[in-house]
Amino acid sequence: MLQHRQGALALDVVFQITQPWTVLFGASGSGKTTVLKAIAGLLTPQRSRIVSHLADEPRILSDSARKVFLPPHLRPVRLGTQAATLFPHKTVRGNVAYGAAQAGPTLVEDALARFGLLERADDLPARLSGGQRQRVSLARAVVAAATLDGQGLLLLDEPFTGLGLAERDRMVLAVTDFLEPTKTPVLSVTHDIGEAFLLAAEVIRIADGRVIEQGPVATVLSAERERLLTQLNG
Amino acid sequence: MDIEALLLTLRLALSTTALLLLIALPLAWWIVSGRGFGRALVQAIVALPLVLPPTVLGFYLLVMMGPLTPIGRLLIRLVGHPLAFSFAGLLVGSVLYSLPFAVQPLVSGFSSIDPGYLEAANGLGASPGRIFRTIILPLSRRSVLTSIILTFTHTVGEFGVVLMLGGNIPGATRTMSISLYDQVQEFDYAAANRTALTLIAVALAALFVIYLLPGRMSRRAERGELA
Repeated sequence: MLQHRQGALALDVVFQITQPWTVLFGASGSGKTTVLKAIAGLLTPQRSRIVSHLADEPRILSDSARKVFLPPHLRPVRLGTQAATLFPHKTVRGNVAYGAAQAGPTLVEDALARFGLLERADDLPARLSGGQRQRVSLARAVVAAATLDGQGLLLLDEPFTGLGLAERDRMVLAVTDFLEPTKTPVLSVTHDIGEAFLLAAEVIRIADGRVIEQGPVATVLSAERERLLTQLNG
Repeated sequence: MDIEALLLTLRLALSTTALLLLIALPLAWWIVSGRGFGRALVQAIVALPLVLPPTVLGFYLLVMMGPLTPIGRLLIRLVGHPLAFSFAGLLVGSVLYSLPFAVQPLVSGFSSIDPGYLEAANGLGASPGRIFRTIILPLSRRSVLTSIILTFTHTVGEFGVVLMLGGNIPGATRTMSISLYDQVQEFDYAAANRTALTLIAVALAALFVIYLLPGRMSRRAERGELA
């Protein structure tokens, strides 16, 4: 449960994540990123109750009624931000390893290989192409999430923006494969219908700060899909 | 030349710089991330030595360190002697007097860091301390360097606070600038000239490093040599 007012947006959402991959779907400005930041603890909503059931015991991340608010680094949640936030003074390897303070280097090398970054591992982000930067950002996020040993949630903010279609498909596979051993669930944000179908995800559709519908992608986004197909054929 | 004064000045400048760095780093970060009334007040107090005559600061420190105030009496009991007219007293005065020179470059450096980097580090589970060490400090290393050099140079050249607070005790409080003043009083212009030239050389060398190093550092970073 989450209530927050920010500028013109009045956010008021209630939902539960039950599937391995859930997509928050909505137009820009509908409050998707705000939801992710609130779960990660990067902003304090006016009212919220966020509970993780991934560990044996339920863990309260925030509960405004009880004045509980865990700081971001104590939450079993990792947030992958957009590619523009790669640390400019750290190499690709340094960026990917950043969220894995305790994990061994094997995890990092594995991620570098899977995300096609081994050859650029010693370069600084400034020397990478847009697509490569996006891949570093993804690898950095999944490595951080994998260190939570399956007791954490990975949040991804428009993770596949700026990738070509073929590259995007490969990266979706890389992310799901990488998180498979720890069974780390993902909540990602997108406004791309194709991406939602590709992930075969559970979709939470939000508009104007409210949840309109939640369910399998084929149900929730069928009307959009039809409209898109008609446009393509027409 | 008065070697004792030179060594004392260097010792004072080094100690002041080290101490101020410890104080200024967290203080500057607090100023950058804080807001509102408290922040404005602290910024004003930090900047005060820039506009006050050093003698004003020296005067109040002298009074405060003396046996007339509770703080002074506590200090005397703790240290065993009044802080004024001692190296420790000089150090306290220098730290306060050079505070804006240490804090201001850090504030401008910290505030130019893209908040997106901090948010990214936060989202990856880094603690505030780790973010400060691994993101904020490396990204503002030019400002840290500027802060160090300005503090050092400013302390080397300080006169009014030292005069008010330390007097003129060889080996304890007689710094280069005081020594220069003495030499002129004694009409020993040759010695005064050597002291003054040394002070100019220190200041010029320090400023030269400020203007030289950052450019080099950024060019190396662009070529990817700094990881």
